[in-house]
Amino acid sequence: MTDTTETGTAVRTDGPQTDETRDLGTGGPEKARSLGADARRQLAKSPLFWISAVLITIFVLMAIWPSLFTNTNPSEAILQESRALPSSDAWFGRDIQGYDVYARTVYGARASILVGVFTTLFTVTVGGAIGVIAAYNGGWLDSLVSRIADVFFGIPFILGAILLMTSLADVLNNYFGIIFKVVLALTIFGWPSLARLMRSSVFQVMPNDYIQAARALGASPWRIIRSHIIPNAMGPMIVVATINLGVYISVEATLSFLGIGLQPPVISWGVSINDAIVGLRTTPHMLFFPSLFLSLTILAFIMLGDAVRDAFDPKTR
Amino acid sequence: MADVILSAQGVKKHYPIKSGILRRTTGWVKAVDGVTFDLHEGETLGIVGESGCGKSTLGRVLMRLEEPTEGKVLFGGEDFSNASGSALRKLRRNIQIVFQDPYTSLNPRMTVGDIIGEPLDIHPDVVPKQGRRKRVQELLDVVGLNPEHINRYPHQFSGGQRQRIGIARGIALNPKVLICDEPVSALDVSVQAQVVNLMQQLQDELGLAYLFIAHDLSVVRHISDRVGVMYLGRIAELGEEAEVYERPTHPYTQALLSAVPVPDPTLRGKREQIVLVGDVPSPANPPSGCRFHTRCWKAQDKCSTEEPQLEMRPDGSGEHESACHFAEPLNVVHAEPEELQHHFREREDPTDDGSAPPAGTPSGDSPFEGHYVDEGVEPGLGDAGNRP
Amino acid sequence: MTDATTKPRTTELGYEPVDGRLLDVEDLFVEFNTEEGTARAINGVSFTLDQGESLAIIGESGSGKSVTAQAIMGILDVPPASIPSGHIRYCGNDLLSMPEEQRRKIRGAEIAMIFQDALSSLNPVFPVGWQIAEMFRQHRGMNKSDALDQAVRLMERVSIPAARERVKAYPHQFSGGMRQRIMIAMAIALDPAVLIADEPTTALDVTVQAQIMALLQELQDERKMGLILITHDLGVVADVADRAVIMYAGRLVEKSDVFDLYANPAHPYTEGLIDSIPRLDQKGQVLNAIGGLPPNLLNIPPGCPFNPRCPRVQDICRTDVPPLREPAPGRLSACHFAEEVLNG
Repeated sequence: MTDTTETGTAVRTDGPQTDETRDLGTGGPEKARSLGADARRQLAKSPLFWISAVLITIFVLMAIWPSLFTNTNPSEAILQESRALPSSDAWFGRDIQGYDVYARTVYGARASILVGVFTTLFTVTVGGAIGVIAAYNGGWLDSLVSRIADVFFGIPFILGAILLMTSLADVLNNYFGIIFKVVLALTIFGWPSLARLMRSSVFQVMPNDYIQAARALGASPWRIIRSHIIPNAMGPMIVVATINLGVYISVEATLSFLGIGLQPPVISWGVSINDAIVGLRTTPHMLFFPSLFLSLTILAFIMLGDAVRDAFDPKTR
Repeated sequence: MADVILSAQGVKKHYPIKSGILRRTTGWVKAVDGVTFDLHEGETLGIVGESGCGKSTLGRVLMRLEEPTEGKVLFGGEDFSNASGSALRKLRRNIQIVFQDPYTSLNPRMTVGDIIGEPLDIHPDVVPKQGRRKRVQELLDVVGLNPEHINRYPHQFSGGQRQRIGIARGIALNPKVLICDEPVSALDVSVQAQVVNLMQQLQDELGLAYLFIAHDLSVVRHISDRVGVMYLGRIAELGEEAEVYERPTHPYTQALLSAVPVPDPTLRGKREQIVLVGDVPSPANPPSGCRFHTRCWKAQDKCSTEEPQLEMRPDGSGEHESACHFAEPLNVVHAEPEELQHHFREREDPTDDGSAPPAGTPSGDSPFEGHYVDEGVEPGLGDAGNRP
Repeated sequence: MTDATTKPRTTELGYEPVDGRLLDVEDLFVEFNTEEGTARAINGVSFTLDQGESLAIIGESGSGKSVTAQAIMGILDVPPASIPSGHIRYCGNDLLSMPEEQRRKIRGAEIAMIFQDALSSLNPVFPVGWQIAEMFRQHRGMNKSDALDQAVRLMERVSIPAARERVKAYPHQFSGGMRQRIMIAMAIALDPAVLIADEPTTALDVTVQAQIMALLQELQDERKMGLILITHDLGVVADVADRAVIMYAGRLVEKSDVFDLYANPAHPYTEGLIDSIPRLDQKGQVLNAIGGLPPNLLNIPPGCPFNPRCPRVQDICRTDVPPLREPAPGRLSACHFAEEVLNG
């Protein structure tokens, strides 16, 4: 147990009692540094983090304010210019129906970002809660939850999503309704992996003495979970959830590509890719740009997840 | 002698061993197997023993972090072995615990102020909300830390300082009893002394009673008024500190004390040396009769059939509690003026030790199976002149 | 018992102690390059070890005692560690300037080490007999069955009962004390001349500790090894060591015969340590704790590293690093006021 890099000081320079601890003057500045603050500093030094942060910011802005990026109406079709190559008029060219590919790509960001963000939010909440409750209570509840999660694991992700979307095909067919359905489908099949992660995290946290200490103080289970378990156990889950965000976006694109998710006239990258497949060999530019944006978005979230994991990993400090 | 504040009566804690596909209970690990003692107000009772003796489990059961399988625990005369809910919470105000490992006993994501303040939040009637921060700062000061560090995180403190934080948390509610589970074992030598001094000072100021659980016999002697020695879940010997250290009557205590080195080279080779052979039997399958008989050089037939009770037995200058049929005092702590005596266990039947662990036992102790040659020692003490 | 100093013993690889001297550490410096700066773990440490001698290196966390042992064994991770200067001579040959291949041959066969935690030092997936036998297979090129025979012999020598049957058992099937014996068996397998024991009994129960220390002493006498015992336990040192060196902040602050050290320390840190430990045979003494904390190795205070905590501190202590000198015959101390400390 080495204290070679400790910077804290035990100081009591005044007081009539025993002088067991005297000011050594070896302490650093008086700042309190939480593990979160330390991690943020580490993140700030990571190039991976900055690249992903820039990309994500751009795409989120695109989702919120597409008009910042383009003045063209994405629903304006100029049929005569169908499949036009990139030009000064349409930077990414035009697709089969004459839509400006650049404009559609920009406007398509919204659907993807919405699906990614909300799915992540829901899976983290649902999966995290189930994982904590199962692990904290242990016993039969834990076994039951694990078996249920196993059942869900057994269902292939995309297949399950397709089944769900198909069975809900008649309901909620407006823009937000469809997005909600996609989010629901992904959440239902996405919570088990986060629950399992949270559960194993909680099992690592529970044997620590500070949990026993809280029980010894008379803390209620809710307080223990809220103040002691969750803050210490959620790290790995957050990292995976960040990476999963990218995965969810790709699944949405897949569903849209298959015609099950978002459909025209709703604009999304998946829809654009679907439309553009037909010209793969002759006019690849229609396919190229939406695919590029999709890939970059997914990549950005994965890189962010990696950077966050490295920053929070105590072994690297 | 002051009033009895905490009393353990026949406390047992057994853990089931489950094996097989259906997870049936095939045996029990008898971690604590019948412990009885009283703790008086303001006194320090040290509990010593080696690994597997059950002292840490005892601490947790007394804290009601675990429920006793059998037996009663009384606080201030009231039986709270079966208390729950608000009665249990009220009890928490009076008995608190300090843990061994300064690195895992504090939540790394909470500030020191929050850690020490948590008990005050859980029991809001002890200090009103406005006064809590001030109280936390007072507590920091009392344990020798700078109150201005109230917003720091545990990782910014050293091991000894973290232990002080743990102590501050433990005394925040002004308990009457503090159970200390190896509080200084994980600290550097020079820091141990600081924390031990702090604890003694706090005891004087606050009138605390300590149950001091540790394996370092020198530290325990220093801080304790009375001492109990545990072996395989039971108390082998219990008495005043001077009685147990100067006039131990139980062979295990004698062996234990003789093995502790003293920081004085002039005593080298001058103390009674008792070497126990073999390892501690498994608590899942303790020996019949006296638990120590498998390793005891004085063991006779009676020892394997009849379990000796912990009761008052003469110790050469009075009497104190000891659980041995042949209790006799022996000086093992100071230099012996005469020649050395070496005691080795004479084994007759290697299958007799009854300490083979069953399948599924959590501990991996391997029983001693071979023979050792008797080097000219007869059972019974006081045999000077039996030199190998 | 033969006198260890009469005949120098030539080792397997042909090394011969010079005038009975096995190890000569001279002016060793070791640093660690970390993100936050350079931690000066060892700052000019010198000591020697003779045949048959037991030398104790006493220190607390951060004193550098384990790093010293690792430097001698050559098992420091060289980035981030670095050895800017110093010599470690084994039988006259400087280990630090030797080619790695040659050093590797010495490691284990001539200089062996045992660690504090046997469970993490032993490979959990191989039987213990296999691990001990590996020493013979690797260094002596023995075949498997001969090597295993040797392993059984060694296990018997360190008093592991039913050795022939247990040779196939795995480390987790043994108790802590037994595992430590297995580690000792591995260490002495090739009959090394020097055995370094880094906190060998800290994690063990006191009765097992006594057995292990007795075993080490027996083996040392039998094989005329030099033993370096690294520990913070002043009780164990009093029982076992011939000479002791005290380390603080990577420096050697006192070096002396063990009897003299306890009877009459020559450095305030030693004095403070001895005063602060409770003794089994005493009750009611005041524990004079040393105040404060050991220094941060990234930022060692100027002058004497102990000055912030020293009860005898004067101005000169804060500016001048005290050299290691001889305030009395046979006693070395790095304190400006060593004579005052000696005279109480």
